[in-house]
Amino acid sequence: MLFEAIALSDAEWQAITLSLKIAGSAVGWILLPGIAVAWLLARHEFRGKALLDGLLHLPLVLPPVVVGYLLLLSLGRNGWLGQWLYQGFGFSLPFTWQGAAVAGGVMAFPLLVRAVRLSLEAVDPKLEAAAGTLGANRWRVLFTITLPLAIPGLLTGTVLAFARALSEFGATITFASNIPGETRTLPLALYTLIQTPGKEAAAARLCVLSIVIAMISLMASEWLARRARKRLEERDR
Amino acid sequence: MPSAHRIPLYLLAAVFFIPVAAHAVDLRTQVQVYAAASMTDAMNAAIQSYESDHDVDIVPVYASSSTLARQIASGAPADLFISANEQWMDWLDGQHVTLSQRVDLLQNRLVLIAPAQSEIRKFTPGGDITIASQLDDDRRLSVGETSHVPAGIYAKEALQSIGEWSALESRLANGDNVRAAMALVERDETPLGIVYETDAKASDRVKEIGVFPDSSHDPITYPLAVVNPQPSEATQSFRQWLAGDNALSILSCYGFTPAVSD
Amino acid sequence: MNDVSRYHGYRASDDRDDSNALDCRVQKRLGDFDLDISLTVPASGVTALFGQSGSGKTSLLRLIAGLDRPDGGYVRLGERTLTDVEQKTHVPIHKRQLGVVFQEARLFPHYRVRGNLTYGMPPAARSRFDDLVTLLGIGHLLERLPGTLSGGEARRVAIGRALLTQPRMLLMDEPLTGLDGERKQELLRYLVRLTREIDIPVVYVSHDAAEIVAVADHLALVEQGRLVAHGPLDELMMRLDLTDRLGGFDATTRLSAKVVDHDDRYSLTRVVLDDGQTLRIPAVDQPPGTPIRLSVGVRDVALAHAMPEGTSYRNGLDTTIEAIEPSPQEPSANEVRLLIGRQRLRARLTRQACDEMQLEVGKSVVALIRSVAFDSRF
Repeated sequence: MLFEAIALSDAEWQAITLSLKIAGSAVGWILLPGIAVAWLLARHEFRGKALLDGLLHLPLVLPPVVVGYLLLLSLGRNGWLGQWLYQGFGFSLPFTWQGAAVAGGVMAFPLLVRAVRLSLEAVDPKLEAAAGTLGANRWRVLFTITLPLAIPGLLTGTVLAFARALSEFGATITFASNIPGETRTLPLALYTLIQTPGKEAAAARLCVLSIVIAMISLMASEWLARRARKRLEERDR
Repeated sequence: MPSAHRIPLYLLAAVFFIPVAAHAVDLRTQVQVYAAASMTDAMNAAIQSYESDHDVDIVPVYASSSTLARQIASGAPADLFISANEQWMDWLDGQHVTLSQRVDLLQNRLVLIAPAQSEIRKFTPGGDITIASQLDDDRRLSVGETSHVPAGIYAKEALQSIGEWSALESRLANGDNVRAAMALVERDETPLGIVYETDAKASDRVKEIGVFPDSSHDPITYPLAVVNPQPSEATQSFRQWLAGDNALSILSCYGFTPAVSD
Repeated sequence: MNDVSRYHGYRASDDRDDSNALDCRVQKRLGDFDLDISLTVPASGVTALFGQSGSGKTSLLRLIAGLDRPDGGYVRLGERTLTDVEQKTHVPIHKRQLGVVFQEARLFPHYRVRGNLTYGMPPAARSRFDDLVTLLGIGHLLERLPGTLSGGEARRVAIGRALLTQPRMLLMDEPLTGLDGERKQELLRYLVRLTREIDIPVVYVSHDAAEIVAVADHLALVEQGRLVAHGPLDELMMRLDLTDRLGGFDATTRLSAKVVDHDDRYSLTRVVLDDGQTLRIPAVDQPPGTPIRLSVGVRDVALAHAMPEGTSYRNGLDTTIEAIEPSPQEPSANEVRLLIGRQRLRARLTRQACDEMQLEVGKSVVALIRSVAFDSRF
């Protein structure tokens, strides 16, 4: 009986795996651009830098629904980017899990960039200059000095972004809609249950589930960052 | 020191408190009306008309009936509630919220819509042409969330009744409320949608493809009730006016019909 | 210490060109003043860039290294142009084949010492690894993390790291700054040994005259962005007009000598100068025949017409007076330059003594030097 009480129903499993898949994809597609933008902001001065910085932070300060709406305008089937996507590839992002991943990724992007930028700025440029005098070209410096030293911050930023994407609601429901099995992530499933009368118990279960998953990701990030810090100090040629 | 810095603190405080005080004065003659999203335009017009004749501030709150009912049950400061179906009004009753002066106010019809520029031709659902046949393989049908949004509940009932539910169940786009569902059709994110007739009339970016037969679903009745256990005089007089002919004539301009009395 | 004699020279990578001489003529606007220096660094030996803090010597080093760009001029190493403003060429830092040792060791904290040392090491240099590690005395540190090293140890690793890239020239920016007395001396000893063993030229920036005297062969004196004097160090130390710049009251002479034998009973070593005269100095741990350098402070040299009897002076050298001039700093003293064989020795005497002894240019005089005055740790 206890087993039945705590075992997850099919619908719940679906919501969990879907959430993990979508949040994972979200982080997947923003990782490289995020590192690139963070590196740009951390190491370079250029005209329009403040503007880029401001644009980057918009998803942090705008209501998520507004962000979702902007995504709809640009990437919806008739959006100025979306129609090109549809005409060229016959693919439209709304109502798909890929669309949910886009929404989650956009909301998580500023968090990732902030964390990575901070960790890059913490890397002493004198070490990079020293590596240059030892014959390392810019790429070698990036991959052997800058990034390895920035890894703890990078990991933290990634997990933060993952957690953010996992909990994304407003942008997802506006842009990707609330399709069971396709875009109904844990937050959306929870929301739907709350609205439906008589489903309070199921809503409570999903709530507990969400908390458990969040705790697991946070602890995993802590463990990873600690391991990375130890590894950094043991790398040899 | 320049004299500007010598403005007494109490004067500054007073300047800030005036709007607050004024607002407090307003509270006494304010009526909060929680109404189903599908009533947005119609209700706004009615309120405008009423306020021009009466010294009162009617504050409307529009959302899906499910959302509003839950909020009222949780203690939201609503004076009046107009639901898009009986179910949610009944549910409120069961939540031990005091309902008074309950009456069926309006009726609505369910229609199938498409974007204004769509090439789909008119037909009546439930006839020879199926909705599924008009829907391309990769596209979806926009409805309100079928588990709790009234428009969605009616849509599901209607689709089941005409035998198309099993085919279309996995191809739905569930909107948070009926207006959100319509917005998807307006943007051609979905080529077809099911909304109320009043919604279709309110938007010039969608067109009606056909009306669902009355027999395919329960009557779409909009019950009205006072939900404030101690309603003000302003609330009661607005409630009376809403059921009157003046109000009904305004509301019917938007496609509503008076409720058929039991 | 004995290992040093077995180490047979550290050569730069075998480029076809045989000259690693540096020829630079650079101009750059620096804060308060303009740097405008035209300098040639010989292809071997240690050239010191000496000057006060802020004189521009570190800026010059950075321009040579490519860490900064000059406003005008060029930098050429051998036949290779590293920077030429007019022709708009600038070889990037990582292609310059210059080893740079910074003031802060700048070791990579995420690599162990071994990893740091081998970071820029080409496969060809692998055979040099053990010898260099021994020379620098860092063999026991190889598996340590940079964070656990002392200041001196870290700098030695930094030096090894730079050398293992097989550079054509080594640039060192105040490598002793920030170390306390004992560590400083220790590192200085390593540096002296190192610079004698390697074949590539070294540019050594410092504001400390004592360091330079210990380690340098050539000197470039930099003041306010200009080159005030340059040439072999021994010659410059003989120039009386540079006395106050080169250490004021701590001016010294460097003498080259060879070890003859050791007196174990009294812990003394006998060395011989190029003209055959001998000196007794505190024992040095070098076998007979080893060339060594001795430093003698100008105040540690007394003059006499003849070697006195019953005196504590162990050393009396026959010399000829080459020049006598008043000390610029000290109104009571004269700077005297003496010739011993082909080397020179400086002494500072009171004017009164000079007059009383009737010292004149060309006269022979005995230079008395106390044994303990010799600084031969280097």
